[in-house]
Amino acid sequence: MEQSHIANVDEKRDFEVNSSNLKHVRSFCREVFEKLNINQELKDELVLAIAEAAQNIVKHAYNNEQTEDKMEIKISVSDGHLEIGFFDKGRPVEKDKIRHRKIDDIKPGGLGTFFIQQIMDAVVFKEGEKPWINHLILSKNLNN
Amino acid sequence: MTYKVTEEGNISTVHLDGEIDMDVTEKAKEIIMPLIEAKKEVHLNLKEVQYMDSSGISVLIESHQKAMELGTKVTLKEISKSVLKVIMMAKLEQILNLD
Repeated sequence: MEQSHIANVDEKRDFEVNSSNLKHVRSFCREVFEKLNINQELKDELVLAIAEAAQNIVKHAYNNEQTEDKMEIKISVSDGHLEIGFFDKGRPVEKDKIRHRKIDDIKPGGLGTFFIQQIMDAVVFKEGEKPWINHLILSKNLNN
Repeated sequence: MTYKVTEEGNISTVHLDGEIDMDVTEKAKEIIMPLIEAKKEVHLNLKEVQYMDSSGISVLIESHQKAMELGTKVTLKEISKSVLKVIMMAKLEQILNLD
């Protein structure tokens, strides 16, 4: 099997669940993606997808309410396969209710999930293993 | 995010600077909406906006729709490459007024 030219990484960080920490989530992602041999456009897209998923945790798992809870974000790349894990202790995700708005129905809101789906290859919700409630996995093959 | 507003006749230009995410959307709306409600034509200069997410895009849609409702107009000026990409990803380039 041909080896990927993209470095392997495995990094995780905790963030307090609130909107003012979204900039720190982005900084963490940028820091990690700097280590990867991928173009800037793709790095920017991945940062957007991760920030949108983190925003969804603040908005939907916690209703944007104040909390001392933390979420964990784990970014792994192995043989060019990127996997991003999000772990939180908020309200359990109702998978059936997750959908983006119809893209031609122009109104504010509902675009975050659409962006994530546009950017990533796969989006999987899992029940989190203790102490986590939700575990979201975004993945993408970076070799393409 | 920081901002500066300049006035010329009935046109108010809002120069936004920095990253526009969920944390600053209320502030962005507080700056933009009163200008629209005062029936000003609003130019949003996005040259110095390095990052915008879906929350920022929502502010652009809301501003555009409010302006249409009140018979005025919001035009996006000098849109940075990264913001334009997100606007296009949302398929809004034919909906919003881009200049």
